[in-house]
Parts: sequence; C-alpha cells; structure tokens
Amino acid sequence: MDIGVLRRDGRTDPFFDGTAADRLVIRRCEACDRWFAPDASGCPGCGEEDLAWAEASGAATLVTWTILPKEPPAFLALVELAEGPWLHARLDGASRADLREGLPLRAAFEHPDEGESYVLFRP
Amino acid sequence: MTTGTSIVGLGMTELGRVYGRSPRRLAADAVRLAAADAGLELGDLDGLLVSHGMGGSPGIELADTLGLRDLRLLSLINSYGATAGAMVSYAAMSVLNGSATTVACVFADAPLKPKQSAGSAYNRDAREWYGFGGMTAALGLRSVNSFYALTAQRHMARYGTTSEQLGAIAVSTRAWAAGNPLAQMREPITVEDHQDSRWVSEPLHLLDCCLVSNGAVAVIVTSDDRARDLARPPVHLLGWGQGHPGHRKERGSDFGLTTGAAASGATAMKMAGVTVSDVDVCELYDCYTYTVLVTLEDYGFCGKGEGGAFAASGALGPGGALPTNTGGGQLSGYYMWGMTPLSEAVIQARGDGGERQAPSNDVILVSGNGGILDHHATLIVSPHAKGA
Repeated sequence: MDIGVLRRDGRTDPFFDGTAADRLVIRRCEACDRWFAPDASGCPGCGEEDLAWAEASGAATLVTWTILPKEPPAFLALVELAEGPWLHARLDGASRADLREGLPLRAAFEHPDEGESYVLFRP
Repeated sequence: MTTGTSIVGLGMTELGRVYGRSPRRLAADAVRLAAADAGLELGDLDGLLVSHGMGGSPGIELADTLGLRDLRLLSLINSYGATAGAMVSYAAMSVLNGSATTVACVFADAPLKPKQSAGSAYNRDAREWYGFGGMTAALGLRSVNSFYALTAQRHMARYGTTSEQLGAIAVSTRAWAAGNPLAQMREPITVEDHQDSRWVSEPLHLLDCCLVSNGAVAVIVTSDDRARDLARPPVHLLGWGQGHPGHRKERGSDFGLTTGAAASGATAMKMAGVTVSDVDVCELYDCYTYTVLVTLEDYGFCGKGEGGAFAASGALGPGGALPTNTGGGQLSGYYMWGMTPLSEAVIQARGDGGERQAPSNDVILVSGNGGILDHHATLIVSPHAKGA
C-alpha cells in the first residue's frame, strides 16, 4: 500500500520542519508539564490553546495494531510515545511474530521525492 | 401530568440498495409511514427530530417537505451512532415536561451509489493528503474498519479473545436474519465461513463488518395517555441513558477496551427499575462483531474479558438465553445506524417478529454506539408500562 503524498496545511509547519530534519516534534503545555500529540488543539488541564512545539525522544511502545491485506501487508498501529501521547502510526520492518503490547519502537524518518517527510516506527 | 411515554409508530422505507431518493425524501417517506402506522395524521405531529448518516442531512427543512406547521420542537440531533437513543430520549422528555405532545424522530441515509462497492462509501482515497488528518490516512488508516480493528486487536491481546469468538457473533446474528424478510443477508453461515471470509483489516474479516444501506426509519413518541387510543400497542419507554467516556489517546487509556455502555446502561436500567438479569432481549449496535462483544461486557451481561466466551456459548442466537440482534442487526439486516436496533426492538415489543419473535419480550435493551466506541446511548423498552 503506497503512502500518499503529504502536504502541509496551516497547522503542520513545525511538525514537517521536524520530520525533514529527522526530529519528532509534538505539542507541549509548559505550564502543566504535559505532552500532547501533534494534532492536539489545546491543553484540557489549563485550557491553553497555543501549545508549544517540543522535540520528543522518538522512543515509543506498541499499544495495538491492525494489518491491511496488501502486498506487502501494511502494519498500522497506535503507538505510545515515551512522553505519554499516542499516535496513529505505520510500522516499518515489523513481522507478525514481533507484535505484542508494549513492543519497544523507535521513530524513523522517510524523505520521499515528492511531498513532506514523515515518520514511521520500527521495532 | 403525563407519567410515561411510548413509541406508537414505526416507519421504515425500503432499505439497502435503494436509489433515486435523497435523504430528505427518504426521511419524509419514513415519517409518513410512521404516522400511518400509529393511526395519526401528519398534522398531529408537533415535534420533529432529524438525524443523518454519511449521505447528507435531510435538514430541518424536512418539516417544510412534510408540510408540518406550528411545530413546538424541531431540531437536528447528532451523537453519531448513539443518536437514535438520544433522540428518542429527548422526545420523551419533551412529552413528559409538556413542551410537545407527539414527536417524530427520523434517521435517513443514502451513502450508496449505483455501481459502487459498499466499502467505498466509508473509505477515503486520494493521491495527496493535507494536514494531520490527511497524514493518518496517507499512512494507511483510511477506513473506519481499521480503527475498529485496532480496538478488537487490543481486546484480543489483553484478554485472549479470538477471531472465532467474534465469528460466533456473525453466525448467531445471521441465524436471526434468516427469519427477517427485511434483512439484506439471510443465507446461514458458519464460523468456518467467517474464518474463510477475506481480511478487511486484521483481525477483522469481512463477516465481522456491517452492511451499508440506503433508506430511512422513523418512530413517533407520545404520552402513554394518548398512546392508548392509537392504532398499535404502545412500546413503553421505561428508561434511557447515555455514556461518553472521553477516552484520551495517551498513556493509561482504556481506549478500545471499554465503552460508554457501562454508564449508559446503569443509568437506563436504574430509571427502568430493572437489572441485566431482567433483560429478555438485546438489540445492540453491531457495526462490527466486536462492538457487540464489548458492549455486552460493559452492560454487565458477562465480566470484562469474558465477552468472547459468552458469545461462543450460543447465548445470543435463536434458542439462546439472551436473544441478541433478533432481526439480523447491522451485520446481516440493514444498516440504519441506531435505528437498526431500535426498529427491531419495536417489532419485538409488539410481538410482530414472526418466526424470529423472541420467546419473552418483557424487557428489551436497545443500544447505540458512535465514533470509535466513543459515544453510547441506551433505551429500555417494554410492551408493559412501568410498574405494570
């Protein structure tokens, strides 16, 4: 299954600037010391809507997964970043035998010829 | 002062691959059918609640289409798959507090187009994707099937639930559909057929997934006092509730493992004065086999993690201890979102189920489920008034 061509919209510039430089940049509420997924619209703790962008470690664990019957099969997942937020993600280099709750994963960055760079997660 | 409310009319258009009618036209047809079923004139309606699926909303302009005048209640309602139960509860509360007397609640959808596969109606595809939502889709999460697959897989990993156990739900639901002339899929299936059906998004096979249907369903809610004089026996609304757990996607979340059925069911059953042991029939939202399994757990029909074994015991099918989705549900019957379980509950409460009529129908539990197990609504209905 091809990964489509990714384009920026008004909200994604810091994230895609990050992936272009092999950095996973997500949202953070400094006041509450809480991390959020890059698409978070605000902090439910304090109501802050202008969340900061901050670099995550790239370490993650597997929460759950699904496999699309493509050739080769596409391994899709929810992953938990070491900082706490979950991301919808695609796994790279995973086999069925690897898949279990808590499997350690690492962010890996892809730089396609067309469109924005993106992040995959590898065991 | 009215003390109780009932569903007194049920209107169902042709369901399935029904083309050439807009959602508004389908909704209007269903409301007319429901009024006729109740023995009411359209002019007797003073409330109209409108809901929709993927094919666009009928709009509150539906009132114009029907020529309704001097309404005292008119609104769009949307809690996704929990809407039908929510809508009926708002209608009942409006009748109870005197702000309306006779309220039609309608759902219409027309996502299917001629020569288009059912799956594509709920699938996204594009060459270029924009923003964060687009990025998730670009990576491969393009269909609601995959999001529900994530939930089912989490339950499997946590509790050892198997695909064969999910298959037992597909099989029992199809067995009920065989007795429903309105069901789209009536040919009996086996767990082997389920296992042999293609993967849609592992661990979900094709036979774990609901149908896609065009059509509309309406019900009419009024007071028990008025219901006594109408054409059909009243279907009493004994209790209602909602549950919206607000699972966050972050460390410690129960996303996929629990639903709003726990809160929703407790509220509805307390209002009705019943417990799960009093429930004779379940009509559960079954967008996927797994939705049924996790909903049964959260209502308390079995323990958390025991839903697979409970389904595989045969309890849910014809002759089982807990007849569930007696019309074939959304898996094999027709997919009218929350109106699928509600319409079958009305049919069962009236004793109109024909060869699929459940042996006992005193207490029927109806559920709605929306989002990715995000929203839940429950109704408890009965042929008997509360306390009777």
